[in-house]
Amino acid sequence: MLALRELQTRVRTALLGGDAGAVGQEIVGDGLDPAARLAVYRNHVVASLTAALESIYPVVARLVDVRFFRYAADAYVREAPPTGPCLFEYGGTFPEFLARFPAARSLAYLPDVARLEWAMNVALHAPDAPPLEPGALRALPPVALHPSVTLLPSPWPVDSIWRAHQATAPERVVDLAAGSVRLQVWRADDEVVFRELAPVEFAFREALARTTALAAAAEAALGVDPAADLTALVRDVLDEGVVVAG
Amino acid sequence: MDSSDRASGVAGSGIGLRSAHVAELLAGPPAAGWLEVHAENYMGGGPAVRALERLRRDYPLSVHGVGLSLGTAGGLDEAHLGRLAALVERLEPALVSEHLSWSVAGGAYLSHLLPLPYTEEALDVVVEHVARAQERLGHRLLVENPSSYLRFAHSPIPEPAFLAALARRTGCGLLCDVNNVYVSTRNLGGDPAAYLDALDPRDVVEIHLAGHAVNDADGREILIDDHGARVAPAVWALYGRALARFGPVPTLIEWDTDVPALAVLLEEAETAMAHLRRHQGSLDARAA
Repeated sequence: MLALRELQTRVRTALLGGDAGAVGQEIVGDGLDPAARLAVYRNHVVASLTAALESIYPVVARLVDVRFFRYAADAYVREAPPTGPCLFEYGGTFPEFLARFPAARSLAYLPDVARLEWAMNVALHAPDAPPLEPGALRALPPVALHPSVTLLPSPWPVDSIWRAHQATAPERVVDLAAGSVRLQVWRADDEVVFRELAPVEFAFREALARTTALAAAAEAALGVDPAADLTALVRDVLDEGVVVAG
Repeated sequence: MDSSDRASGVAGSGIGLRSAHVAELLAGPPAAGWLEVHAENYMGGGPAVRALERLRRDYPLSVHGVGLSLGTAGGLDEAHLGRLAALVERLEPALVSEHLSWSVAGGAYLSHLLPLPYTEEALDVVVEHVARAQERLGHRLLVENPSSYLRFAHSPIPEPAFLAALARRTGCGLLCDVNNVYVSTRNLGGDPAAYLDALDPRDVVEIHLAGHAVNDADGREILIDDHGARVAPAVWALYGRALARFGPVPTLIEWDTDVPALAVLLEEAETAMAHLRRHQGSLDARAA
């Protein structure tokens, strides 16, 4: 008789695609191969995690065809099972996995499309936090980007790719040579949205992701464009509700 | 434990809240007696959480966890327990429940309610975890019987006896999933009525009902608890038997796969309510 911890370790190994034999003898067959009984659980584990990934990465699934997506998800689930039970938090390393998944190498932009979808998922579930009111800035308090915000630079036009692969989108040809984008993804009035930022806006907001000091962010913006309109940069983050108390 | 007062908020039949039905529920008058939510879906922020904050003004709530892994050897995931405690504090549910199962091994969450061997060792583990959870949550926990597709060679304690011992040692309540009793006894052998008879009626605080699928595994029938259909006739019959034994216990309709229109869930909840009224009526007649 195995200790509970050892039994659970062996079941885990069997479920994640290892050796069912190591636990098979602990299971009563009742007219079925113990491996077939374990397979009911394994199918459910893989199917539920694949479904979680598919709901977070629908455009990736459309880009590669859903059968290929499930093949990739299966490999990812075995390599990187969740570390916690909130499945909306599962799959943050899937873009990096795709980047080194040999079968997906021909689609160079795929990992960045996945990064955009992960950022949208983060935005959807981010904690609620009240945006700073304009008046609160007069005393130059420490500030931070709203927890729903992700800044995403890409050498590919991932925003156009994403839009062209919505279920409701008309057939559209994406010009992959359109070049790089700098996106901000966030939640505005309960809607997840993204837009392209100008280089100076991106530098200003990226600095706010690293520092709580508005002055340091202003310096970063001036580094990109010595003639940057600092008043407009500050006004825009307030108008968009993307800064909170730091 | 001060849960008995709050538990009175949940009575009759309720439905599991699914995202597809939220807008319709928010727009109309209260449509079900109460709602049950999966705890792990509400541990972030955003629109789904805010919608639930609004619904809880109109509906008594039950918080049903799937991720605590009460049966994992070793300590509970204290970080997850802390998030569950914060949710319970925020939503003030009438009922809080979890499962007699495990999902975590070696730091991996296996996203399924996995079966335990019913041994003294496992009982000690679950007792310790239920006691710790109740202490941290400040709330009585209800523990649900699982649906099972296998049993372990060394598992000397019958499942209902294991649950009864757990309730006796921790003061927890039981969530009797009647569909699970049916599915497990069909898959592993055993008499579902005898299973119900082995539970102490005083422990049973909530009942779950759901549909299941009938699959074929190498020529042998296996029932899958997929929550993807109406409650089967044989399960309604077993439910009648459960109510005769336990009394008119608050009953929840669950539906997770191929979720239909809200009206279909409400029809199922109304069928459960008709059963509950009949049993309430016979209780009243006996009291008179």
